Amino acid sequence: MTLALASTSLRIRLTLWYVGVLALLLIVYASVVFAFQYVVLTRQLYHDEVQDVITVEGLLFFDESGNLQLRQDYYSRPQSQSLVDRFLEVRDLGGRILYSSTTLHGMPLGGSLAPGEGDKGFDERIERLNDGSHVFAVSHIHSLQGRTVIIRLGYDLAPLRARMFQFFMLLVIAIPLALLLAAIAGQAIARRALRPLERMTARAERITASNLSDRLEVANEHDELGHMARVFNHLLQRLQQAFQQLQRFTADASHELRTPLAAIRTISEVALEKSAHTEAYREALGNVLEESGRLNQTIDSLLLLAKAESAPPENFQQGFIFLDLMTEIIILLEVLGEESGVRITEVHPELAAVEVRGDRGLIRIALMNVLHNALKFSPEGSTITIAFNRPSASSLQITIQDQGPGIAAGEHAKVFERFFTSNGLTSANGGVGLGLSIAKLIIERAGGSIWFDEDFHQGAKCVINLAL
Amino acid sequence: MSDALVSGIRSAGYEVLAASSAEEGFFMVHSGQPDLLLLDLTLPHRNGLDVLRQIRKEGLDLRVLILTSHNTVDDRVEGLRSGADDYLGKPFSFPELLARMDALLRRFLPPSPAAFTVGDLSINPKLRTVCRAGVELDLTPREFDLLLYLAENSGRTVSREMLAKDVWREVSRYTPIDNVIDVQVARLRRKIDDPFAVKLLQTVRGMGFSLREP
Repeated sequence: MTLALASTSLRIRLTLWYVGVLALLLIVYASVVFAFQYVVLTRQLYHDEVQDVITVEGLLFFDESGNLQLRQDYYSRPQSQSLVDRFLEVRDLGGRILYSSTTLHGMPLGGSLAPGEGDKGFDERIERLNDGSHVFAVSHIHSLQGRTVIIRLGYDLAPLRARMFQFFMLLVIAIPLALLLAAIAGQAIARRALRPLERMTARAERITASNLSDRLEVANEHDELGHMARVFNHLLQRLQQAFQQLQRFTADASHELRTPLAAIRTISEVALEKSAHTEAYREALGNVLEESGRLNQTIDSLLLLAKAESAPPENFQQGFIFLDLMTEIIILLEVLGEESGVRITEVHPELAAVEVRGDRGLIRIALMNVLHNALKFSPEGSTITIAFNRPSASSLQITIQDQGPGIAAGEHAKVFERFFTSNGLTSANGGVGLGLSIAKLIIERAGGSIWFDEDFHQGAKCVINLAL
Repeated sequence: MSDALVSGIRSAGYEVLAASSAEEGFFMVHSGQPDLLLLDLTLPHRNGLDVLRQIRKEGLDLRVLILTSHNTVDDRVEGLRSGADDYLGKPFSFPELLARMDALLRRFLPPSPAAFTVGDLSINPKLRTVCRAGVELDLTPREFDLLLYLAENSGRTVSREMLAKDVWREVSRYTPIDNVIDVQVARLRRKIDDPFAVKLLQTVRGMGFSLREP
């Protein structure tokens, strides 16, 4: 049942639930009403019988021959008598029947006397007559002309039961009819409620890679469906951004890979075309190797970017002492400055003797790229200042500042873009234009931030914030 | 690729046979009993690692060097676990391949000598001293390590990848490291070569560096 339900549409399931619950409620309600009705009618019957007993008491008399009679003279017309359908029986205390109404056709109304019958109250009960009909009967003791008699009076239950049966049939017909109407209404309501969902589904089905900019319409942003649509739209937006980034990146990457490939091809073709001597071939092959090295570096950098992008967060659980890492990097790279007399000085290194959480290997690459960049652009005899600061208890700020040409206005953000190279620079400055984007990606993945200070004009000043 | 490797390795003085499929290679391993197997993991029809496992199961005594373009740490671990002696990711530099092969085969050979001599340059690894033409040269520790590594691979070309990995102990090679290597080589050259007429430390364009008598 559950399985069968699960495979049907939401609309049908909603309707079925709705109808099921309604049916249960209706059945409970009908049962209560039915029982109440039965009790009310029985009480009414009892009340009537008691009234009748009182009336009958006044009409009973013993005639001269000692037979009990019921006075008939109050009937205005003789035929009215045939309308009386009550059963009446009078017995003496010995149980002998003194009077039996014609409606009883000689049948006794119940068996012999029960002890204390009719003594107090009226002893209501259901008796079964010899002909099988059920009678709702009462008994009452009455003193008449010095003799004590027991009056038994009852009504046939058949009319009451027939009425109850009619009522029952009414319910049996009405409840399914009501349920059917409810099902139709429920179906319509469910369809109406789910219509926005259908529209969204249809819309979402049409969204592909080529129209990722499409959004679901938000009919009412405060209801559940509106909320869902908004969440879905956010998802689409992130997807679209990722997709655009990927597209741009693929375009850039293929361009960057094609450049060294073209160089390799040209060098080889030129070398083969001119039947040159061995030395020229050596030269050409050396060039080819250099270009393929560049190609390889680009691929390595792209892989590194992919790795940093997909680095699982659990890698960032281990910590390391930042100053140790910085010292390691300075020792590794300072040789690059020694030739041209570039000095690296540290300001407040003691502030960096803190534990930083993150992938040490990746952060090392990020810092190496930034420092390498500074060294690359440092003029002879200049100084690179690495200053540490603790802007808050939970962060460490590192500024790497050189005395080079600085960054052109408006390019402070662009330098982090993949394959960005400033107009004034050529590949002679080394690298494949990915160093800073790798650094940015790594730092941001580690929960930090990195930017170049636009207000600093004596060189370039890179600011890195790391979360502790 | 295979042809270039065969001719390169052959000219380095080894006897080489090439197999173009796993089955052929497997047959050759049995019939030729080589000392070293260069195994490319991307073989037609059959996974190279399966071949390797079967070789190890049969207990054949040979060194295995895996060549592959699946160059992640996991692949490396998987390869070494399957019984490879070493692992080299594509693209590799040819000198590095030769050096790795030598290193694997050298396990059969006696340990390296107490001192290296290249021309009139002599290096003592124990005392960490370097003399050229009888004059002791003053090198920084890094310069000494670099020179020692070049001397150990004397006569052969050493690539930047090898230097980054074996001298600088960097896990991978990035642009900054390349620059550092170039600068260190330049400084080393200034100390061991500049004052002398015969230049021993050669730059091989596009490949790397080589320490040898011209």
